[in-house]
Amino acid sequence: MAGLGVIARERRAAFLFTAPAIFCMAVVAFYPILWALYLSLHRRLPIFGISKFIGLRNYIFLAQDTRFWNAFFNTLYFTLVSVALEFILGLAIALVLHQAFRGRGWVRAAVLIPWAIPTVVSARMWEWIYNSDFGVLNYLLVSASIISTKLNWLGDSALAMHAAIMVDVWKTTPFVALLLLAGLQFIPQDLYRAAQVDGAGPLTSFRHITLPMLKPAILVVLLFRTLDAFRIFDAVYILTGGGPANTTETLSIYSYKLLFQTLQFGYGSAVAVVTFVSVMVISFFYIRVLAGVREG
Amino acid sequence: MKRAGFYLLLALIVLWSIAPFLWQLITSLKPVSQLILLPPLLPKALYLFHYVNVFTGQPFARFILNSLIVAGSTTIFSLIIGTFAAYAISRLRFPGRGLMLALVLSVAMFPPIATVSPLFLLIRWLGLRDHLLALIFPYITFTLPLGIWILTQFFRQIPRELERAAWIDGCTPFQSLYRIILPLALPGVASAAILIFIFAWNEFLYALTFTTTEASRTIPVGIALFPGIHELPWGEIAAASVIVTLPLVVLVLALQRRIVAGLTAGALKG
Amino acid sequence: MKRLFPTPIFYLLMVLAIVGGCSKKEDAKEGDRKGAVQTIVFKHFKPPGEPRFFLDLIERFERENPNIKVKDEILPASTDEQHQYYVINLEGRAKEFDVFALDVIWVQEFIRAGWLLDLTPYIGAQGLRGMLPGPVSAVTFKGKIYAIPWFMDAGLLYYRRDLLKKYNLTPPQTFAELINITRTVLQAERDPGLLGFIFQGKQYEGLICSIMEFIWGNGGDVISADGQVVIDSQEAGDALAFVRDLIYKHKLVPELVTTADEEITRHIFGAGRAVFMRNWPYAWNLFQRADSPVKGKVGITLMPHFQGKESAATLGGWQLGINPYSRNVDAAVTFVKFMTRYDSQRHLALTMGLKPTLVKLYQDPDLVASQPFITELLPVMLRARPRPVTPFYMMISQILQAEFSAVISGIRPPNKALASARKQIERILELERP
Repeated sequence: MAGLGVIARERRAAFLFTAPAIFCMAVVAFYPILWALYLSLHRRLPIFGISKFIGLRNYIFLAQDTRFWNAFFNTLYFTLVSVALEFILGLAIALVLHQAFRGRGWVRAAVLIPWAIPTVVSARMWEWIYNSDFGVLNYLLVSASIISTKLNWLGDSALAMHAAIMVDVWKTTPFVALLLLAGLQFIPQDLYRAAQVDGAGPLTSFRHITLPMLKPAILVVLLFRTLDAFRIFDAVYILTGGGPANTTETLSIYSYKLLFQTLQFGYGSAVAVVTFVSVMVISFFYIRVLAGVREG
Repeated sequence: MKRAGFYLLLALIVLWSIAPFLWQLITSLKPVSQLILLPPLLPKALYLFHYVNVFTGQPFARFILNSLIVAGSTTIFSLIIGTFAAYAISRLRFPGRGLMLALVLSVAMFPPIATVSPLFLLIRWLGLRDHLLALIFPYITFTLPLGIWILTQFFRQIPRELERAAWIDGCTPFQSLYRIILPLALPGVASAAILIFIFAWNEFLYALTFTTTEASRTIPVGIALFPGIHELPWGEIAAASVIVTLPLVVLVLALQRRIVAGLTAGALKG
Repeated sequence: MKRLFPTPIFYLLMVLAIVGGCSKKEDAKEGDRKGAVQTIVFKHFKPPGEPRFFLDLIERFERENPNIKVKDEILPASTDEQHQYYVINLEGRAKEFDVFALDVIWVQEFIRAGWLLDLTPYIGAQGLRGMLPGPVSAVTFKGKIYAIPWFMDAGLLYYRRDLLKKYNLTPPQTFAELINITRTVLQAERDPGLLGFIFQGKQYEGLICSIMEFIWGNGGDVISADGQVVIDSQEAGDALAFVRDLIYKHKLVPELVTTADEEITRHIFGAGRAVFMRNWPYAWNLFQRADSPVKGKVGITLMPHFQGKESAATLGGWQLGINPYSRNVDAAVTFVKFMTRYDSQRHLALTMGLKPTLVKLYQDPDLVASQPFITELLPVMLRARPRPVTPFYMMISQILQAEFSAVISGIRPPNKALASARKQIERILELERP
């Protein structure tokens, strides 16, 4: 029934509807990204007034840079563990909050608090909580006899990364919970009732109704949480500064130190570009796997 | 019995979420000399001067106002622009839909610290240095990916039949977006609104770089500027963080009711 | 359903109201020349203590110079953030600030990048006469002066005078004495909450300041006088091994130092929980506050040295520089000269504990009366050692931070860490040579 007139009308509307977004992104996002790409092909050291085009040499150097690979695997580990934890906890919380009970609004507001506190504040807060001498975490754990000596959470190379992961999980689980909860509320109750009539238990309806219907929300959650985790900077930087001995240094921290502490603008941009490409690859993978979602 | 287990779980969840924040609250009421002493866990008497200092040491009320303006504008504009774009992507037929979605996503993939310098140059070139718009414009752009993706996923779940009927009746795309889709996607819109607001409320890097004077400063930068060259007034920081979390709690409470109301108004029919 | 969505008009009104409220732009005052009044912008970290003291100084300047107004803008405490701010702005040729405060380790880097105005024409080649030699060499390049030393920092050893007196002990001069004294006090006090010796061991610039005092105190160095990289010398290795042993073998230094910065150590010592602390002079004023648990119980002295060697203190401190893109150079120069003058430095020392860069001030009667130990500080300041004065310093710092941190967290042995540091530093000095 769709004639050419309708298609033209749709195209026109589509153009109008997407133009503002494209404009914003072109000016504010694409320009800096292209600039960073451009810089990454140069050797730019303002200290010596050097600004030379060197093609892909920064990337070749990067491939053999052990500090880069250290940062890369730190970031990968951080991302995998924290996203997995956030997802599981967030889903559990969303399921619980989906039930009807008195004071539901208040509980939802309370659950959002970790996400609501500014990162600069919550990271410092956790830095003090984790402090092995006067931090409240060690105090409580020792008082409850769960551990016998105070642990050096942020200074022990075995613990520091996990301490940072816990902070990220605490902070961003509400994000996951909120989006999954919104997705849950979209699922019509009739489906569950019909399933009950057919004799399906809660686990079965979870697997066959809830999860499939949640796929769109899950896709958004996993995608954006991974993007954010891979680019993590503030929280880890404040907690450990990338230490001890670069064991918690992520790609963004390495890039930051290159750009703003040692003023190696070309190489720092190259690390940022590689981070960008890695994230792109991961996202592509997600979208493929959850491809059944796209009803085209 | 099952109910008791459920409530226990609820209590654990709430505790886990707010325990560090509660610790902030307790810290903000401790006098300076007790800030790092453990025990005692709780202060013997309530010390309110940290809260006083927050407002007398700097124009903190102004920072709150600035943050409200920035976060509010960002949320509204980002939602408007994002809604239109998401509707187009999910409902209208045009070439490059998938590409558009991918492009939008790529905006959210780039490490922010590498974009600070070029953006700074742009802001200066536009003469927007120290203007709240210098923050609003980038914030809108960087929240568009999340907003567009959330809304796209939600819009897609709404059956086309609802609109088809409207189109046959001569509804324009705009009208069908406004009258049919939006009310049904309310949970998604409200969630996106909360997340965008929080992002703009807490953003630090760009706020620090693009604004320098107190007139245009926002809360996170205001808090970061409490300390002196080495001294860290932890009491004031704790007090400030309590103060700034409250509006967000209020916002969330208000929007939560909207979501529930939207559903009970007979939203989606099977 | 309509009531869930107010009409589009409402949205429009809201939007207009908000955009209208957006015009909170500061009037462009920079580079203003209304009549004869010039305004200069001064950027720096927030001064410690009461803001009033600092503003008093600025007001005094404005009174003396009625045709210059000063806009005082503060930056975050973290030196990283300040550095980042200046890098972004100066790389972008910003004219929005005229005078700014620099950490001593940035000066050479900024000079080479062309981000500091040459001040020699304005203050003369003898302009820094009477100032401490350490900061002077940090701000000079090829005979020209690029910044004026504002106040001075040097690493000091803080100790609990009351505890040492209780056991008839005198402050340590060698590290061996430090070990003995600490052990004696800890064993006698039998307080599980009392720590021995604390310093800044987090992976950041402060770590280098702390560790170099051990290395220099054993006769080692990073780069020798003739430009050779000597960080992996026997002396340096021994010093680093000593630090590691303090933590893991002698257990006189708690493991938490690997996460400690100035503030954390200051808090611990200030609560009476440590016998010795390495920190900058600023902490002393805070310990003398009325509500401080250690008021009157703190002594300071030079950092110890190894047997047969000399003590060293790391040079810190801040300088005032002028933005080369500034449009108010004359006013800026006047301001900088004022802020680094004798009476201004004295004011800052008296009210905020910021130690002066002018040698004469260490014998100033008012200052000595209020802070008697200042005369003892002078020898420390005179001998304060700068970290490698080279534009590569920030890169070297990155390398050293990682390696030092690896040693004190027990991840890598000192000889391996230092050998690796040497290789990396040599590569930097070669590769990056223009």
